[in-house]
Amino acid sequence: MPLSRWVLALADSSGRTSGSAAALATVTSLPNLDERALVSQAQAGNRAAFEDLVRRYDRDVLRLALNLMKRPEDARDVYQEAFLKVYRNLHRFRFECSFYTWLYRIVTNVCLDHLRRRQARPEDQAPEIHPNRMEEGPRDFFDYQKEHRPTLDPERSLMGKEIQSRIALAMERLSPRERVVFEMKHYQGLKLRAIGDALGTTEETVKNSLFRATRKLRSELASLR
Amino acid sequence: MSETRKLARCEDVAPLLVFYTCDELTSEEREQIVAHLAICDGCRAQLSEEDALQTAIDRMPQAADQFESSGVLLAQCRSELSESLDELSAPKVNEGWQPFGFVRAWMALRPGWSAAALLLVGAIVGTQAFQWLPFSTGNGNGSALKVFAAPRITPETLNKMELSGINSSPTGKIQLQLQAEQPMTLSSDEDDADVRRVLTFVITNSDRFDAGVRLDCVEALRAAASDEQARAALLAAARKDQNPAVRLKALDALRDMAGMPAVRDVLLETLQHDSNPGVRVEAINLLVRAIESGSELPELAPEAPDSESPVQGTAPQALPFPGRDTEQRILRALDELRQHDSNRYVRLRSAAALRQIAQQDMQ
Repeated sequence: MPLSRWVLALADSSGRTSGSAAALATVTSLPNLDERALVSQAQAGNRAAFEDLVRRYDRDVLRLALNLMKRPEDARDVYQEAFLKVYRNLHRFRFECSFYTWLYRIVTNVCLDHLRRRQARPEDQAPEIHPNRMEEGPRDFFDYQKEHRPTLDPERSLMGKEIQSRIALAMERLSPRERVVFEMKHYQGLKLRAIGDALGTTEETVKNSLFRATRKLRSELASLR
Repeated sequence: MSETRKLARCEDVAPLLVFYTCDELTSEEREQIVAHLAICDGCRAQLSEEDALQTAIDRMPQAADQFESSGVLLAQCRSELSESLDELSAPKVNEGWQPFGFVRAWMALRPGWSAAALLLVGAIVGTQAFQWLPFSTGNGNGSALKVFAAPRITPETLNKMELSGINSSPTGKIQLQLQAEQPMTLSSDEDDADVRRVLTFVITNSDRFDAGVRLDCVEALRAAASDEQARAALLAAARKDQNPAVRLKALDALRDMAGMPAVRDVLLETLQHDSNPGVRVEAINLLVRAIESGSELPELAPEAPDSESPVQGTAPQALPFPGRDTEQRILRALDELRQHDSNRYVRLRSAAALRQIAQQDMQ
């Protein structure tokens, strides 16, 4: 699982007990200084500085959006909306937390809005695309034949695909907040405290969300035992 | 989560196994759970399930890996964002205060409703607005509103034009077809200023227009003989036109105006000087009619002495209307015709007219 530079920084900072904002802001000093200067210049109206900030983080933003929305077009919308919000509200950023935290808070809020909208009007939404389902395709006779190569275990492979399919199905049934927490924890590698900061809530609330999400997934996989 | 509580029972440990596998416990909690797992097979089994689930989750293929392996989507997103930023950064066009700007915006968004609204407004204005205008206050009885167009005929046009056609409808409407620098058609009744100007111009410029055209123009002006301008043109035609048919037609057009002094002057002049017997007879008829219809005609201008007149001193001693100079002059002119006109029919008609007038005087 590829972890971005800033996610690693956030994850590393979680062990320190100096408060949530400080936990998110604890990154290497030089990039932080560069980033602070960039943010200041962007606040002063420097378009190049803002675009530099975008280039630093937009890959991770798009990755998060893709994993949460499961549709490229929705991820594009999230990307646009999030960075335009950042651009319009950059003058309100007071360096009380790191720029990462602030950006991530905006991105997750935009994702939550989209997911809630999708949940409220499922009839208007195209079905989500899951990579494991795309790979499956129509099964034919050969899919069920015994694998003779010694390095491969077809039964395990088939079971693995089934588990992934069940997990994907269970993920769709999570609430938007549970989905975001699950994604941020398992695929973005964030600590619960950092997730709470990004979502503007407490670590305890995030923990409850993660627990509920995991329980739903386990109940979905119970029949495979 | 309380960090001081004792995690000795399975129901306390089981909910924390999820966070144990993903490393979200404090060191104290972790130590207590490890101690419990060492003595509890059930929680150990549950932990292995949690580990299996965690492994399965970790192995899940990611949508980002599937969709964004080539970087095309990121490039698209960056391009779109750049365009959006360009739009946001562009200075706003200062359009200033725009009255009814909200109406424009509303209409731009709803073209169908806008068209319907404009039609409705047009219909209301077209049907109601004239009632509110000042010049329409006297037109409340529903009569047609006369709108006078600006004259299109200039003096230059009159001098250069040719009249190619005159059409008269039973309702009195006249249509003139002119050949000028640009062909044009004037269509209106005699009250139309342009039509009347053309008609009078044709009549008073007999040398430029064909006799047939002049006849048509005289006929067209007949209905407007009460108008001073039209009457002057008809009198000029009766006096000067080269064609006797035109002069005769002009006199006929003035039939109802024979009692007027200017008309009687022309009639007397025609009696005495017109070369055409038919015209002279028509003048006789009109004068007799004037005398018969009017009790007393207005006085004419003093008769100029004519030393060469063959009738001088030969007027009958006892003419009707003693003391009334106008009638006396007419009678003398008739008597002169009766005696000396070259045309026998004119002489007979003059004699008949005199008898007719004498009988009326006796009555």
